[in-house]
Amino acid sequence: MRIVICAKEVLDPDAVNNYALAGRLEIGEDGKTLTQTAIPRLINAYDEQAIEAALRLRDAGVECTISVVSAGPDQASLLKHAAALGADEIAVIPVDTATADYHSVAFLLAGYIRSTGGADLVLCGRQASDDDQGVVPALLGESLGMPIVSIARAVEVVEAAGAPAVRVTRVTPDGDELVEASCPVVVTISNELGEPRFPTTAKKIAARRMKPTIVSVDELSLPPEEREPRVTMTRQFVPTVQGNCEFLSGETPGELADRLIENLRRDGVLQ
Amino acid sequence: MTSSVVVCTWGEGRDGVPSESEEVLTLGRKVSTSLEGDLNWLVLGPLPNRAVEVAGSYGVTNLDRADDPKLADFQPDPWVEALAQYCAQHPTRVVLFGQTFDARLVAPRLAGRLGAGVVMNGVGVDAPDDGRLQITASAYGGDTRVVYELSGVESCVVSVLANAVLPEPRAGEGPEPTLREIQVDLSGVEERIRTIERAQTEGPRLEDAEIIVSGGRGLSAPADYELVEQLAKALGGMAGASRPLVDDGWVDSSRQVGLTGKITRPALYVAAGISGASQHMAGCSAAKTIVAINRDADAAIFRYARYGIVGDCLEILPELIRAAKAR
Repeated sequence: MRIVICAKEVLDPDAVNNYALAGRLEIGEDGKTLTQTAIPRLINAYDEQAIEAALRLRDAGVECTISVVSAGPDQASLLKHAAALGADEIAVIPVDTATADYHSVAFLLAGYIRSTGGADLVLCGRQASDDDQGVVPALLGESLGMPIVSIARAVEVVEAAGAPAVRVTRVTPDGDELVEASCPVVVTISNELGEPRFPTTAKKIAARRMKPTIVSVDELSLPPEEREPRVTMTRQFVPTVQGNCEFLSGETPGELADRLIENLRRDGVLQ
Repeated sequence: MTSSVVVCTWGEGRDGVPSESEEVLTLGRKVSTSLEGDLNWLVLGPLPNRAVEVAGSYGVTNLDRADDPKLADFQPDPWVEALAQYCAQHPTRVVLFGQTFDARLVAPRLAGRLGAGVVMNGVGVDAPDDGRLQITASAYGGDTRVVYELSGVESCVVSVLANAVLPEPRAGEGPEPTLREIQVDLSGVEERIRTIERAQTEGPRLEDAEIIVSGGRGLSAPADYELVEQLAKALGGMAGASRPLVDDGWVDSSRQVGLTGKITRPALYVAAGISGASQHMAGCSAAKTIVAINRDADAAIFRYARYGIVGDCLEILPELIRAAKAR
């Protein structure tokens, strides 16, 4: 079976967070871009877990080829990492992210999958940690006519009515749910899947020799309406939070605790 | 070009309407007023108890109900098909969803089906006079806000974050909403996802808790989480956690408060050893009163807190348990 993983490169969310927590996150003169150029770019963590989900299927004895595809301007390090993890094929669709949106990216990814013989299983991270939108897997599934199983903790390949299918444990607000869908299918992976593996040094060295397939936008011959973005970012800003915290004072932890409970009772928050 | 706005909901909810419907209707009314169009409310499946009353007080033009045996229990394929048929029958400029777990899947699929734009994590929609739509959404887990505009398409599906809008019934009297029965033909659609084992809600849910005590990185060992549980118990509430504790396996993911966990709105939220990252605050900033305990006086959590204690939560928590039990 062919497994295709769609991966994206993002600014390190922990670094963005640290700037935000320190109140030093700033937007540049274009009104859109974060000015912190020192923030490293990494593979979106959920996408790395999607690769891990595929590798676990292979470990479990599923005969498969694993392709990792990414659309973006410079995906070399992301794809090397994917190769070192165990991808059989890596592919890049070079696009300028300034003129692409998640609609056009979803159509590019769908075009890539169609033009390379299709996929039995498409794995995506549940969302990207930069825009948090999480819509590409759904748009991709709609474009390819595949069902979309979202927010998976575990994926298993089984046989249903003599054909390959997936059994997916979904993390829902009411607890875990087990569902089944026939292939081809899109599954989105959540952080509950667990830690992805680290590539070994030998695999990292071997990965340097693997060349990514470069897929030009033109060879996907998408209709014009699928090449244009539908939703474009015009502005980004850092929201301000109006604080009105009353810091409690006291000599000992006991005094602080008593004061807090007292205040909460006075406010009617506690009975 | 149509200028109408539709709010889509399903399910009964705890207060006779699905949670967040009043918030999303408030936003819908604002947008439909700017666009000088109708505000419609589409209910899939049975009409919730208070739908007619709520539709009236929020200025809904048409309360549209689409019912079908295939809309009895949530299934994504019939849902998307019914919504797509409705939108084809009633061309709509802005389709609004409250961002529930299921809407997170349905909204972008609908946009794909309609060829419309889609924005998730919406916190606001503006329609200036020039006909543009500006959709503001949360990004980087809440660290930033992004403003999106449409290009090449006229309509947009927007999923609105919980707690992004304050519910505000319309001022004064207005025309009563018209109840319309919407015909959808779902004979050609069969759900492609088969449920093998349903999710089982185990005990009370964090989303419904009135008091929550959450622990974060400020706890130094898994055993320290017991202090969080004890304080929650002493206050008559539930225990939650920030994501690092879940990722490290200290706490089950059903306890995770935040962007990718539970979105809560308790009366009291006690954050012990939590720095206040936006990803976490997305799940608790709607709490009426937030109490923060943190060693670092500059921690972001204090910007959201009503009361702050600067100190080691391992020293403060045992005293709080004692004081809470003594009250």
